[in-house]
Amino acid sequence: MTETMTATMTTATTDPLLACAGLVCRFGGLVALDRVDLAVREGEIVGLIGPNGSGKTTLFNVVTGIYAADGGTIAFAGADITGARPQAVYRAGITRTFQRSRMCLPLSVFDNIMVGNHKRLDHGLVFNLLRRAAFAAELRRNWDEAAELVAVFNPQLAARLDEPAARLAMIDRRRVEICRALISRPRLLLLDEPSAGMTHEETRELMDDILVVRERMSGLTIVIIEHEMGVIERITDRCVVLNYGRKISEGKFAQIAADRQVQEAYLGVA
Amino acid sequence: MPPPALASRLPAIGCVALATVYGVAFLAAESQAAVGALLALAAAAIALAARAGLLETVRASIGANPATFDVAAVTGVLAAAAWLHHQHFAILMMTTAMLLAVAALGLTVQFGFAGVVNFAGAAFLGIGCYTAAIVTKYTALPALLTLPLGGLAAALIGSILILPVLRTRGHYAALVTIAFGILFKTFLEVNDALGGPQGMQVKPIVLLGWNLSKPIHLGTFTVSFYFSYLLLALALLALCFVLVRRLERSWIGLSLDAIRLDEVASACYGLDIARWKVLAFTLGNVLAGCAGAVYGHVLGFIAPNNFTFADSLVLVSIVLLGGIGNVWGATVAAAFVVILPEKLQIIQEYRFALYAALVILILLFRPQGLLPRPLRAYLPGWTPKSP
Amino acid sequence: MDIALLGQYLVNGLMLGLMYALVAVGFTLFFGVLDVIKFSHGDVLTVGAFTGFATWLAIKATIAIPWLQLAIVAVAAMLGMAVLGALIARFLILPLRAAPALNTLLITLMLGTVLRESVRLFFPDGSNPKPFPSLLPTTPFTYGLFTVRLDSVILFVAGLAMIAAVHLIINRSKLGLAIRAVAQDAETARTMGINFTFVILVTFAIGSALAAFAGVMNGLYYNEINFGMGLLLGVFGFSAAVVGGLGNIYGAILGGFLFAALQTIGAAALPFASAYKDVFALAVIIVLMTWRPTGLIAEKTSERV
Repeated sequence: MTETMTATMTTATTDPLLACAGLVCRFGGLVALDRVDLAVREGEIVGLIGPNGSGKTTLFNVVTGIYAADGGTIAFAGADITGARPQAVYRAGITRTFQRSRMCLPLSVFDNIMVGNHKRLDHGLVFNLLRRAAFAAELRRNWDEAAELVAVFNPQLAARLDEPAARLAMIDRRRVEICRALISRPRLLLLDEPSAGMTHEETRELMDDILVVRERMSGLTIVIIEHEMGVIERITDRCVVLNYGRKISEGKFAQIAADRQVQEAYLGVA
Repeated sequence: MPPPALASRLPAIGCVALATVYGVAFLAAESQAAVGALLALAAAAIALAARAGLLETVRASIGANPATFDVAAVTGVLAAAAWLHHQHFAILMMTTAMLLAVAALGLTVQFGFAGVVNFAGAAFLGIGCYTAAIVTKYTALPALLTLPLGGLAAALIGSILILPVLRTRGHYAALVTIAFGILFKTFLEVNDALGGPQGMQVKPIVLLGWNLSKPIHLGTFTVSFYFSYLLLALALLALCFVLVRRLERSWIGLSLDAIRLDEVASACYGLDIARWKVLAFTLGNVLAGCAGAVYGHVLGFIAPNNFTFADSLVLVSIVLLGGIGNVWGATVAAAFVVILPEKLQIIQEYRFALYAALVILILLFRPQGLLPRPLRAYLPGWTPKSP
Repeated sequence: MDIALLGQYLVNGLMLGLMYALVAVGFTLFFGVLDVIKFSHGDVLTVGAFTGFATWLAIKATIAIPWLQLAIVAVAAMLGMAVLGALIARFLILPLRAAPALNTLLITLMLGTVLRESVRLFFPDGSNPKPFPSLLPTTPFTYGLFTVRLDSVILFVAGLAMIAAVHLIINRSKLGLAIRAVAQDAETARTMGINFTFVILVTFAIGSALAAFAGVMNGLYYNEINFGMGLLLGVFGFSAAVVGGLGNIYGAILGGFLFAALQTIGAAALPFASAYKDVFALAVIIVLMTWRPTGLIAEKTSERV
């Protein structure tokens, strides 16, 4: 093979799905993100770790358009999404969960999941108000789909789609939030501390279920913020470590765990 | 799916029949003592029914037979109106209640669904009224057009507020709509072209030779001159009710609820906050405007004093008392708010203070309102099979 | 425009500004300590004015000296409204602290209606305006072509003194320190031993007493009170507080005078449209809120995402 061909092949297979270059985010005098680079290839599971306040959630917020970056670029599937509104980021195929539970508690479980399905639902006035037979068909289709998705995480929950979300236990609410993020078949899923408030057993179960869903949606890419290192070690392909808004290490878990800088960041200098 | 048995429909039909009989008796009651007795009777009956679990039975029956209940309700109103056909005041009260219910439905869409506060509801009602007055006075357009024109005017003038409403939250948004409501009334008072403080006349609707403001004579049978407007108001209410309820039971209703409950998460899941808020705000104003147009014809003469801040608060009270986001709640509360002070004369003077005090109690002790809003039932009567 | 008229506009504007400032300070105090907008504040002003008037009616037969009458009227109104404010805080505002903010907004709006209607219904002949007595000397002072009445001067000075007093209380007293602590961080203030409920009640009492003072001032200056006087004053007072930035006392005072300046200039510049001055001011509020949704000084809110 000629050199050019090899080169093209290498770029083609390693073109990142998500490419953040030099991201900067400032809040007044505080620099929350300091020229952070992050490249995620399609199908990867990347762990984003670091001590509290290191900028992990801020990175998610910048990527999803909640905060505007003060510098740097973000490219997704080849298209530039720097400065895009959250709605546009969602339409491009990126969904996320939130650190603190953000559910519409007065609404039903099904309703909560359907909030995440916005781009696959017909929101036309005529469709919703007049073409009720067609609407009913779309409703039933989505109900079955939601039930199927939820059943992966908790089979009993699938029978409770018509209950108010407020009645769910915390762990089930978390599961529903993840289903909300998955229902639209995103290309990239950003998980922000999904295991918060769960036991080790529940966390393990949750992660296994997420992997099952990932199997079904071939090519689902995941970036996961976590504090539980067991999770990170088990499911991620590689990790990125942030500290004070700066990337201090990158590589497989074993590598970064052995990295002196990372140890210092978490535990302080000996 | 086999049609539900008659037995399951009976509680719902029975409830409507009972309400109709009670309504007729209440509207026809002559003495204050009779009114007081009827009120006490109602309170006792409801308390007893609650104790005996009958309310649950009725609720289940209504839930399983929604179409039957709707038809029964309309029939009930028509039956009551037919019984009271010669009593001008009773017919007027029913008509007013139905028109205010339409405005309350508009407010429900804005506030109950989308979370957009609007303390200028009476102003939009007034826009409809004044549109009817202006159209009938200065143009030769068929008077029935005042309905859509009233709605259109409310939408157009309301669009002034769209930008402020989108950019403000909570108490700031409240301030903007309060300011607008007062501005509207004050403007009408100082502006002589629109009648000033004395107001304007609104000519009646004439539909294909049928003057709605004239009494109907069917042989020896005379029907109140308000009756035609009652039919019009009923038709408008039925249409708006179905519209708003369908809206709630759709992906649009879901989107509105989502942006009300969590704007950040909604944005992250693709909901265009501005688009939905504008839709809800405009639709609500259109409903108020249409109701206002009919109301103008019914009153025959309108003045700025009908559309004060206190009146806007009454509309808000209707929505809060009935149960935020509950369309039946808004309708029933509208009837309550309109009819009660007219029949119970001693509270007539005190009605603003009374409603406000009631709302305060509701907010302190039962904030979800008298009829809390149920979960969204996209297709009533459809229970999804377990997977 | 001749000097005399200009002078009159100036005096009117200053008085109006002071009244708005007094109301605005109340709004800003309540928001500062509890993140609450008490929409009934304008109507508390009305009740204060009527309390003062009722007091005067009760004592005018027995006490003849005007300044003594005034003192009693003012004290009665302010004490009365202080109690009312504390009661409102205790029974309507504090219980709803855990509920969504909208509920407090609604409850205070409804309360305003109850207060307004109560005055109209229960005060003898309440629907009609009442003549408020002139308890201050009205000797005119003339400076060239410019005339100002003594009572206007006294009222203005008194108003400023009242604001200065509040400023001193908030910034120089132990109570004020407690209020500021609660305003900044209620949780921490409590752990430091500050009695949260007491501070809230006192803050509402102070704000309401200010409103009563403004109400009596209003009555003395315009020689008339009516049951609806609080509504517009409340709207303008709130707007003034918003303009200055909610929670900022100096901003509230500034906002009050700015607002009055706006209205007065509008009325002076467009004499034919002076009837529209309220319309004009309300339109300005709407435009202002569109341009700066949280006032001229941005409200510092942060939501953890």
